[in-house]
Amino acid sequence: MIELKDIEKYYASKGVKSYILRHVSTTIKQGEFVSIMGPSGAGKSTLLNILGMLEEPTYGSYSFMGEDVTTLNERKRIELYRNHIGFVFQAYHLIDEMTVEENIEAPLLYKKVPGAERRSRVADILDRFNMVAKKDLFPNQLSGGQQQLVGIARALVAQPSIILADEPTGNLQSAQALQIMELFKKLNEEEGITIIQVTHSEVNAAYGSRILHLLDGVIKEDVNL
Amino acid sequence: MLKLNLKIALRNLWKNKLITTINVGGLAVALASFILIIMYANYETSFDKENPNYDNIYIVGITYPEFKTYYTAAPFAKAIEQNFPEVESVGIIKGSSFELAIKNGKNTLFTNNILQADYDAAKILNITPEGGLIKPTGDVERLSYLSKESMKTLFPDKKDNKPEMVGFGASNLGITGIIAGSIKKNLHSNFTFDGVSIANELGEGDNYDMNDFSIYLQVKPETNLAGLEQKITDLYRVELLKGKTGQQLIDEVKGISTFLDPLSNLHLKPKAGNNAPYKILIALSVLGILILVIASINFTNLSIAQATKRAKEVGIKKVLGAYRFQLTTQFLVEIFMQCFVATILALILAELVLPNFNNLFQTHLSIWRIDNDLSWQLPLILTVITVIAGIYPAMVLSGFKPAVVLKGNFSSSKQSYWLRNGLLVFQFSVAIVFIIGLFIINSQLKYMSKEDLGFTANEVVYIKNITIFNDPVKFEPVRERILRIPGIKSATVATFIPGGENGVNSYTANGLKANIDFVDVDFDYFKTLEIKLKEGRFFSNDFKTDTANAAVINESAVAKYGIKSPIGQIIRGCNIDYKIIGVIKDFKTQGFENAVQPTIYAIKDPCGGYKMQIMLKIEENKMAEALATLKAQWLEINPKDGEDFRYEFLDELYGKLFKKQEQLQSMFFAAALLTIFIAILGLFAFAKYITNGRIKEIAVRKILGAADVQILKLINRSFFIMVVLANIISWPVAYLLTKMWLGTFAYRIDLSLLPFVASAIITILLTVLTVTVQAAKAVKANPVDALKYE
Repeated sequence: MIELKDIEKYYASKGVKSYILRHVSTTIKQGEFVSIMGPSGAGKSTLLNILGMLEEPTYGSYSFMGEDVTTLNERKRIELYRNHIGFVFQAYHLIDEMTVEENIEAPLLYKKVPGAERRSRVADILDRFNMVAKKDLFPNQLSGGQQQLVGIARALVAQPSIILADEPTGNLQSAQALQIMELFKKLNEEEGITIIQVTHSEVNAAYGSRILHLLDGVIKEDVNL
Repeated sequence: MLKLNLKIALRNLWKNKLITTINVGGLAVALASFILIIMYANYETSFDKENPNYDNIYIVGITYPEFKTYYTAAPFAKAIEQNFPEVESVGIIKGSSFELAIKNGKNTLFTNNILQADYDAAKILNITPEGGLIKPTGDVERLSYLSKESMKTLFPDKKDNKPEMVGFGASNLGITGIIAGSIKKNLHSNFTFDGVSIANELGEGDNYDMNDFSIYLQVKPETNLAGLEQKITDLYRVELLKGKTGQQLIDEVKGISTFLDPLSNLHLKPKAGNNAPYKILIALSVLGILILVIASINFTNLSIAQATKRAKEVGIKKVLGAYRFQLTTQFLVEIFMQCFVATILALILAELVLPNFNNLFQTHLSIWRIDNDLSWQLPLILTVITVIAGIYPAMVLSGFKPAVVLKGNFSSSKQSYWLRNGLLVFQFSVAIVFIIGLFIINSQLKYMSKEDLGFTANEVVYIKNITIFNDPVKFEPVRERILRIPGIKSATVATFIPGGENGVNSYTANGLKANIDFVDVDFDYFKTLEIKLKEGRFFSNDFKTDTANAAVINESAVAKYGIKSPIGQIIRGCNIDYKIIGVIKDFKTQGFENAVQPTIYAIKDPCGGYKMQIMLKIEENKMAEALATLKAQWLEINPKDGEDFRYEFLDELYGKLFKKQEQLQSMFFAAALLTIFIAILGLFAFAKYITNGRIKEIAVRKILGAADVQILKLINRSFFIMVVLANIISWPVAYLLTKMWLGTFAYRIDLSLLPFVASAIITILLTVLTVTVQAAKAVKANPVDALKYE
């Protein structure tokens, strides 16, 4: 599904190149649950951003579902966001002015899903996440774990084939973190959704099927669990 | 989606209630003033526009070496008509300046202005009585029409439009005439009148020395105007020289030319006349636009301040699959909503202010008219301000890259630093220019009300009169009767009153020939007006020659002719050798805008005008009784004027010269207050955001041991620098503008540093105060609260 070949990323400042990623090559297949691990500054988030096409690599090629995406225009990239990619953030990044229901509904609006279907899909997800009672609350009225659930629900509602999660449990207490990880595992196993997460936690990584260890921008280890 | 976006926008606005109110309120006030200005501009630029031949009508003017005028001789109209085929039609009109009483039994009407027009002029100028324009029969018949209002006064019960018999002047004169019907008075025209009198031909016996008509041309479309102008000039010179010889005359005529002034120029910027209304209109429009821009800047600045927060929203929406243009639209819709609400509020505000505005500018504007140009201008303005105010959030915010803004510590303040501070400085610069302007206008007006005019208009009553008193012998009994009334100190009669225009004639003295002002007076003229004598003496009954060839001139005339010791010298005009018996100090008959003109005062002047303007000096405390007695006895005192005693106070008449300036002052006062108000509102909201954004920094500094004052200083510093910068920018601008304005006065104040310093102090104080009020809240807060959340 994802094929990275010799990805490099560096910033040039005053003639000195400071590398974030070096010679990163890997393949991620449909249905994998990959955790990217490594110390701070290893380039984990940058790699995830490149995978999510939020950043462009300085060098190298990246093909997503058989299509070279390094040269993709904005319109095509946004089509991919609408149909294939769901994002989950450490800081949740819900829109503060929208209720839980509206936050979940937003991607469907951009995807131009008809009203009736939109409502049933949002209702479905709310039901599945046990949040029907909270649908009219605003993000700041929810706990962190609940906000992250909304974040994940929002990513799922558009039925993506892959979820990119940047430290999804970084701001959560361990009980809540556990719940999120269980959810990821279930989504991966039951619905076949590809998941790539960045995490610091060995525990979290253990939920996945594969671990990429990054150190100073280089893949040091690629472990299949 | 639109619904959701609207919902988000509303929640966002609700969350920032105060700032939204400030933004929308400020914009509404600015828009209201702009709406008024646009309406005023529409009104002022569309005089006579309903005339179907608006674009093809011209007035013929004459350029003399010293001045330009629209007064021409009646025969010239004929000459133009006969010579130039491209001129479709030629008409002449003449206004009347004296007051005429028209009577029907007990009902009396005083008309100030009966317009005389020939049939062609009425046709060209679209002067149409009720029931249509009728061609008078023969050469003598005149068809007179009175305005509807006047008709109502004379014939309160009249329903039809049939001709009526009326009396003219005092009833004992027994002059009667027929009023053919009524005519709608159009105030939105260059030709306003109490009534019109239409003849087939006017000025038939006139020659080229009698320049008392105005000629209007209707030319064929696509006429070459410059060519026609030249041809008319050539024709005029030929006509002037017809049957005359002499090199001197030929040279003189060479210096005279004609010009054509389009009807569209006539109201605002006549070539022969004052273009002050046009300048005021331009100034007003600039003021209106500036106020609007300043209010729009508030939007942009607050959008910038909010950018950090909105950036996150942009990032999220982008990764959820929003196209950039969808975000652009969303921001524009948000701004549009606010602008729309502001427009509604502005219309309400404008409606509330309109009566005052109409009063100030003597107009009859109304917002709610279908044919109003406002109906297309307002949506246009709404669109323009939406774009101006929304351009930054729509273009810049929507372009943020999600990877950058979603990282968490994004701050847009660095990128927009220059834009936002630049806008703030601009706002303040404009406000400062207005404040300085206001100060200077104020002190000039104060100067004008305090400065010695050289004469006293107080306690002088000007009596309207239609009896001609050119011969002092005829006025003598009238004066005697008047002076018998207790409280009346002196009485005189003259051709012109101070505050009105004087006549101009050619006089020669000291070997120099020049056109100077003349006023034909009677005894006691100088005494009545308390004009000061410089040397010699005033007119006196004791000298028999005073009524024959004595003249008093003013200082300016002495200077103009360069006369060394003027008393006893000769000044020649109208075939009379006048002996100068006195020199008076200059007095400001024309207000402060025009320099005092060289003027000659004489009792006898066959070339002058009619002495009809009676002026009386009356003791203040006996004023009411004296006026009552005059009214009661007027028929005996001045039988020809009849029972209609009408008067005005000279100081009020003279005060009309200052009306335009007072309008300007009120306008400027409002504009200055508005800009300052809107700018301060913007600053207030902006300071609130800035301090909110720096709450963490303030908390850290406090923990590190900074005192409250130090923090206040820190926050104030950048604003302080901006205000000082704005002052530096606006001083030269204000200097140039006010200098230009003062240049329109012949008598004016010197520019001092005071207004500049004062405006600097005011703006700096206001800024520091506004910012400190905002910052104080952040400073007082417990640092722990600010640092708790990470």
